[in-house]
Amino acid sequence: MSRHLRAAGQASAAAVLVVLAGEVWTPVRAQDHPDPYEAGKAVYTRWCAPCHAAGVTHPGTNALTVKYRGVKPGVLLEWQDLQAVAVKFVVRHGISVMAPFRKTEISDQELDALAKYLSRNTPPT
Amino acid sequence: MRTPPEVSQVDFASAIAEFKRTVGQEWVFTSDADLDLYRDAYSPFLNEPEERIASAAVAPSSTEEVQEVVRIANRFRVPLYAISTGRNLGYGGSAPAYSGCVVVDLKRMNRIIEVNEANAFALVEPGVSYFDLYRYIQEHRLKVWIGCPDPGWGSVIGNAIDRGGGYTTANYRNHFDSHCGMEIVLPSGELLRTGMGAIPKAETWQQYKSGCGPWIDGIFSQSNYGIVTKMGFWLMPQPEAYLRCTVSLPRYKDLGPLVETLNYLENSRITSGFPDIASPLNGYPPIGQLQLWNETGPPALTDEHLKLLASATLGYSANREAYGRRTGIAYWELWLSFHGPMEVVEAQWQATQRRFAAIEGAKFRVVNRVALPIDPTKAEDYHEPELGIPSLRAFSIGARTPWSPTPSKGHMWFSPIIPRTGAAIIEANRVFSAAARDLNMPLFRTFTMPACFWERSFIFILATPVTEDPATNKRYREGFKKLIEVGGQHGWGEYRTAPVFQKTVMDVYSFNNHALQRFHETLKDAIDPNGILSPGRYAIWPKHLREKQS
Repeated sequence: MSRHLRAAGQASAAAVLVVLAGEVWTPVRAQDHPDPYEAGKAVYTRWCAPCHAAGVTHPGTNALTVKYRGVKPGVLLEWQDLQAVAVKFVVRHGISVMAPFRKTEISDQELDALAKYLSRNTPPT
Repeated sequence: MRTPPEVSQVDFASAIAEFKRTVGQEWVFTSDADLDLYRDAYSPFLNEPEERIASAAVAPSSTEEVQEVVRIANRFRVPLYAISTGRNLGYGGSAPAYSGCVVVDLKRMNRIIEVNEANAFALVEPGVSYFDLYRYIQEHRLKVWIGCPDPGWGSVIGNAIDRGGGYTTANYRNHFDSHCGMEIVLPSGELLRTGMGAIPKAETWQQYKSGCGPWIDGIFSQSNYGIVTKMGFWLMPQPEAYLRCTVSLPRYKDLGPLVETLNYLENSRITSGFPDIASPLNGYPPIGQLQLWNETGPPALTDEHLKLLASATLGYSANREAYGRRTGIAYWELWLSFHGPMEVVEAQWQATQRRFAAIEGAKFRVVNRVALPIDPTKAEDYHEPELGIPSLRAFSIGARTPWSPTPSKGHMWFSPIIPRTGAAIIEANRVFSAAARDLNMPLFRTFTMPACFWERSFIFILATPVTEDPATNKRYREGFKKLIEVGGQHGWGEYRTAPVFQKTVMDVYSFNNHALQRFHETLKDAIDPNGILSPGRYAIWPKHLREKQS
């Protein structure tokens, strides 16, 4: 592959050839964050926010709003009683049209960080 | 530990040990809990004995590791099944076509090897999702667009080799057509590069598709002849402007001229964005508005209109047409989009209007006239994939909403190709609505409009729900198969389907005593003599399993 990259770079001096350190780009993973809170937030932003951020354009938020009818917020980040164990269960088992996430997508370590992040408002029992 | 069929426990244990040595212990999965993650979450056989399940999963991180996994599988005759991001929901998800396969999960191969702005192409690995590629392009401020389908978490490679599509211009929204160059691990473990990639010093792997000699890329799509480990894609240079317009036509009989005029304009590249045909009078939205309808509810209709909707045949009644004329509600509404410099797209829109003005009563409207790039915070004002922006909004289909308070468990896509004529739309509705009514299937209950993903044909893309109730799922499965057969009797075939329906679909492609299917099998026997790679995918079975499956 390195040969191909060099070749492509030589092909056009004007080309904007983007190759990051180590030749290739990979997504930032939770373990890249030393701070567990930031690690959990990174997992949430990458995997959960497209469905669960604020607004009806997010199917997860729309679904939770209808399901809980004001008893709980539609936006997952606003829940005050989300248990880490519940986060882990739903991520690994799915619910409704939300399919489970495999360990190659969200590793156990990343799931720990995510569960802590999403349950950060929940008082300890 | 689960064991694949026809593999001894001792051999399987040896294979698993070697997989672990190759990819690392952490990336070989054998426990029931871990393997549950490889079930098809939208399987119509959910929790039934026929559900396709894996015996193990192995997740290599490099082409070399894929090669070694394949060599090990050959040694122990262990069947493999390759997935990329595993998000092919509605078409099989992450589960194998043949129960007992070891899933080769390529999600860890998530490298974006190159995005070349000057020549507008990308080279990626199978674990790269549309979100990944989009974010990379945004982070690096590159002026290129990706073509993406509705669910942005899908694999750029996976969707292309399952021959999926997106919503940008014609030459980019057919994802397999827009690829240029593949790298494939063959069932022997040998590595192959196609097109110009076969020349060791070529600088044109992503610049010229076919190289010289037979162009074989197509056989690695919807098949089981190799594991694609890299693939190049042509990207669309970021256009300067986006113009979204509608053409409204008042009469039922205008459907034929609408399609003929659209075909002329699209095949001449006067319009090349995703065309979208709605029927406001029949209460049928354009695909681009579907997510909005799911999120905020369909537009309110008058009681008179609702009454008329209940009383038409094949979307027509004289009263309905008269109601449309009286209220100004169009029978047909064609949404068109144009991409390019503002003066060019305005000229294309002018030419488009001149052509459609030949149809009496045609009305024209500009919906969006936008200088690009748009402010990313405004993306949700649009159907994002039409601007090359991935999202997950489409999961409002089936999810709980105020308008659909009972969510489904998933869906299977019924997606036959029909001819691109107005007459074919009406004929397909006649045939499928009668069949669906007889089968009590929740499809074709209204006058249903096809989609214009492909340039020269129409395609219906209809979600058949998957539920928690096995009896309902059984009825839908059987109805789904029957609809495939009914379509086949009229010359209409699915473009893609989930493993549980692949045999039924491929049986429809039966010209000359199934010559195509027999050719697929001839290839399989030559390329994969041990039959280890994705047995049964698109009904291509290796010799030793062929008779058992028929």
